[in-house]
Order: sequence, then C-alpha cells, then structure tokens
Amino acid sequence: MKLADKFTLWFLAIVLLITPLSMFNTFNTIRKHIDSSEIDRLKQVNDEVAQKLNQGMDPDQYARGRPISIVRWNAALPKNLVEVRKDKPTNNKTESECRITVTSFYKLNGQNFRISSYNYVLQSSLIQKSMLQSGIIKMLIIVVTVLLTGRILSRKILSPFNQTLKQIQKFNLRKKQPLSLIETNTKEFYTLNQFLKKMTDKAIMEYGLVKEFSENASHELQTPLAVLRSKLELLTETEIKSDQASLIMEMQNAIEKLSRINHSLLLLTKLENQEFESTGLISFSKHIKDILSFYEDRILMKEIQLHTEIADDIQVKINPALADILFGNLLSNAIRHNFKGGKIDIISNSHQLKIRNTGPAPIFKTEELFHRFKKSNQCNNSIGLGLSIVKQICDMHQFPIQYTFENGMHHLVVTYNTHFSSLYAVDHHKSNSIVTS
Amino acid sequence: MKILAIEDNQALSSSIYDYLAQENYICEIAFNLFEAKEKLTFYSYDCIILDIMLPDGSGLELLQFIKRQKINASILIISAKGALDEKIQGLESGADDYLTKPFHLPELHARLRAIHRRKNLEGSHILSFNEITLNTDTFEVFVHQCAIEVTKKEFELLLYFLVNKNRVLSRQAIANHLWGDYTDNLSNVDFVYQHVKNLRKKIHQANGNDYIDTVYGLGYKFNSHAV
Repeated sequence: MKLADKFTLWFLAIVLLITPLSMFNTFNTIRKHIDSSEIDRLKQVNDEVAQKLNQGMDPDQYARGRPISIVRWNAALPKNLVEVRKDKPTNNKTESECRITVTSFYKLNGQNFRISSYNYVLQSSLIQKSMLQSGIIKMLIIVVTVLLTGRILSRKILSPFNQTLKQIQKFNLRKKQPLSLIETNTKEFYTLNQFLKKMTDKAIMEYGLVKEFSENASHELQTPLAVLRSKLELLTETEIKSDQASLIMEMQNAIEKLSRINHSLLLLTKLENQEFESTGLISFSKHIKDILSFYEDRILMKEIQLHTEIADDIQVKINPALADILFGNLLSNAIRHNFKGGKIDIISNSHQLKIRNTGPAPIFKTEELFHRFKKSNQCNNSIGLGLSIVKQICDMHQFPIQYTFENGMHHLVVTYNTHFSSLYAVDHHKSNSIVTS
Repeated sequence: MKILAIEDNQALSSSIYDYLAQENYICEIAFNLFEAKEKLTFYSYDCIILDIMLPDGSGLELLQFIKRQKINASILIISAKGALDEKIQGLESGADDYLTKPFHLPELHARLRAIHRRKNLEGSHILSFNEITLNTDTFEVFVHQCAIEVTKKEFELLLYFLVNKNRVLSRQAIANHLWGDYTDNLSNVDFVYQHVKNLRKKIHQANGNDYIDTVYGLGYKFNSHAV
C-alpha cells in the first residue's frame, strides 16, 4: 500500500470518527444555548412583570400580546422560585416546535404571586436533522477533497523521496559513481539523503580500498614468487639427487599453480574494476584464427578432430585483449576436458560463437562451473578460474552465455549480437539448458 | 655481454646475477634509480634489466633518462604488473621487451639474447652449435648443413635449448616459453614432452647427436658435453 493511500485512509477514518462526535457536541451546545437563552428571557419577562406589579402598575401593558398568566398564589412559596417546563407540542401546527414555560414565584407586597410565561422554540430533533444533513455534505466534501488532493499533494511532497529511491535503485557500487540526490527542504528527506550520501560515499571508498588492496596484494606476491622460482631454478643447477629433484619438482608445480591463480585473480579484479575499455568493433574472426593457431600443436598432439565454421567478417564490440582471453579460455577448456582423439567443433557467425567438444560428463551442474574455483575434479591441473573469467567478460559485455551437456558433448554458446539470437535460441538446447546472462 | 640489472629485491637480483654470471656475462646490480643513473653515467652496458617499481621512483622515469642520455643499450623490463597498458607504455618509452614476474630465469636469459641479437644488426641471424645451425630469420634448422623440417614450436624449443645450454629447463619454463600467455589452464607436461620427443627424433634422423637429456622428473637439459 502506498504511503499516500495509508495517510488518506487514516485521515478518512479520523474524519469519520470525529465528525459525528463533534456533531453531537455541537448539537448539544446549540440546543442548550437556545433553551437557556429562552429561559433567561422568559425569566426576565417574569421578573419585570413582577416588578411592575410591585410598583402597582398594570402588568397587562407589559404582557402585551404575550401569553403571561399572573395568578395569586395562596400557598406558601415553593422551594424553587423558578420552575421550567418543556412541553411537546399538542397540535399539528406547532409540531416542529416545543413550548418552554417558565413559572416564577414572587412575594409582592405581602402577597404570593405565580407568574408564568411561555414561548415556542425549535424542537431539538429538527436541529439534529438539519445538522446531520449539513454534516454529511461536509463529510462528503472532505472525503472527496482528501482523496483527490492526497494523491496530488503526496506526489509533490514525496517527489524528493521517490527520486532518492530511484537513485538508490540505480546505484552500483562497482561503477563507483557517487549518488547525486536532489535538494529538498523536507527535514526527514534531507536527513535521509544526507545519510544515504554519506553511506554510499563511504561504501564506494571502502570498495575501492578493498579492490586496491587485492590488486596490490596480488602484485606484491609476484616478486616473492619470482624469488622462489628463480632460487629453485638455481637449485636445480647444483648437484642434486633424484629424491631432491622430485621435491624441487613438486615445489615448482606449486609455484606454477600459485602464480597462475594470482594471475587469474588479478585479471578478475581488473575485470570487476572495469579496467578494460571496449574500444570499438573488432574482427572477432581474426582473433579466433590467431588463437587457434596458438593451440594448433596441442590440438594435434591430443589427436583431436577440429571442425571449424568461422564466418569471414564477424564484428564484435569488445576489448581485443578480452576477446583473446575469452576465446582462449574456452578453447583451452575444450582441449583439456577432452579425450585423446576427441572432437571439437567451432562454429562462429555474426551473432554467436559455439564451441562443442567431447569430454567426460560434468560432475556439477553446468551452471555451477561458472563459479570460482569450481572444477570437475578429473583435471587437477586446472585452477578453476577459466570459466569464471569467461563469465565475467560475458557479463561485462552483456553477452548471454549458455553451457549445456548433451549426448556426451559440451556445448558452449556465447551470443555477442543479441538481437539476432532470439529466433536462434529456441530450436537449440530445448532440454537441460541453462542460460546465464 | 655486459648487463645492468636494476631490481630492488636483493634476493631476486642475486638470482639474476648468479644465473647470468654462469653464462660468463659481466653483470652489475643497482637497487634503486639513483644507483642505476650513477652506473649508467659512468659505464656502458649492452643490456639493461629494469624493474618498474623501484623504491625511489618508477622505472619508466629511467627509460626517459636513458633516452635523454642517448644510451645505446637493449632494455628488458621486468615488472609485477602485467597490465596491457603498462606493457605498451614501457615499450613505447623505448624498452625492447617486457617480462612479467614471476619469470623463469632461462626465459629472462633467452629474452636478453633475443633483444641483443635484434639490436645489434651486425650480429648474424645464425646460431650454431657443433653440427646444429639455426637461422633465426628464416626459422630454418640445419644438421650437418642439411635442412631438417621443424615446426615453429620445435624451432623455438631448440633455440631455447641452445641459448640455455647446460641448464636445467623445467617443463613449466619450456611451456611458458612456447605458449606465453596461453599456457594458462593447460596440462603442459604432456605437450612439452611431445615436442621434445619430436625434436630429438628429427635431429636424430638427420644423424645429429642427442644433446637433450632428461633431468630426473624436473625437465630437460641441453648437454653440450654429450659427445
């Protein structure tokens, strides 16, 4: 539920609750007021009549047209010198009115008198009726106004908040762009914006520091690794026995692995930091052919049948170094996770690159192999970062990548020109397909 | 060949020194920019091995210095940073080649020899040892003056062996030399073995001596005293 709607609902509920209460209160006040002022007036009339009587004047002239009755009262004066009586109307004519009779007792010149006068006032039910009528109209006006203005006003008042929301949704820590929030004079929103700005700026800074740290750490590792490697190489030059040689070899393997992991992590960090600009369109077919020639000897040695269908002019918008890494990693995987005498098909056209290869079935779900350090454990030499790097490059360029395993073949499809692909993707890999983009 | 190695890490620079000294090169070491400038002002060198990150400045600064002083030496950069842009920056500033740490010492040596060969055009493109002759221009191999057919990788492998004679070359070092950046993620042991096997076979078929020894499980060695 929207904040504006909540406010409106609460407001309406309050209006609906308060209006009858206030109406009841108003009604009572008015009725009392009318009655008491009439009673006061009648009392006054009575008093004045009594005064005239006392002065020996003819009270009739005062009673002029007024229904005043002056009666000698032979009994003793009652406790209350003034009596008030309300009467319901008796005939139809005065139905809407009610009669108030004020009777006062006086002791004038040693004689007791009872003077009473009466008048008609509006009956309370009538006041109630008209008040209810006007109250309902008033409430309707309020409800309609609240409903209408609630929307419009809330849009206006909440606009800084909504803009802030939009900005936060767009905020991406990796892009390192600080939030730009609009000025507002609403105190709460101002505080919110200040807080968000401070928080995101700090997050950006910390993120930068962490990234810088991991990059620096990787760089700092390179020199000690170089020292280790060179010392081991010098050690192999000395007189060594075969058992020592095997120790050295194991160390060398470990250093090799360490240096590869370091290299790959550094590359991933750089990719995450968006340090590679995609300059413009490159001829992807040329890159494919170049990389293929690098791997030619290894394909040959593993007696792999290579089948290629590479279109002549494939234009892809990607950084050239990343294009090499992307295809290189995919190809080296296809070679490594292959059988001797297996098959590799490379099909590349203007919108997609497809690599199919024979190989043992993956142990994990194919999508999981994109995760860092996840590897099919048949191949212990791998470090499990190759596909993560591929994935990162694809994500960066918004190339959807698909990895499936079907009929003993690994299928990897990278779509680099997406607008062609929708019709293509349907008839391929209907089952067991994982699309990650 | 006279070499100046500018590297602030003492352990690494001593490794470089040890390796190159065994090749009978005259090798000197500078640990910072100041020492390097001093040495470059007073002495001349054929090759300079330059680390980019030095305690008192960037190695790129020294490249400018070398350019200004018109020092005619081949320059090989060794740096922890392998970023492409920095590579290009270094090469544009007058360096001849770039090697990313952690490198293999035989690789460093081979690169030094290669840039030295390139720089000194009077130096021939012919490299020979006993009955084996290599033409680095045409990628031809001759055994007893008779051309044998080798692939580009086999040629590179043989050249690597000849440059690093009597050195133990680990499989990783060989793989790294042959495939460079594309060694990643490959089980190179088998491929190196295959290449070495093929090369030995081809030399043997041309009645050449088998100079390549297997050193335990470590790797291979081109043994010049084999005969």
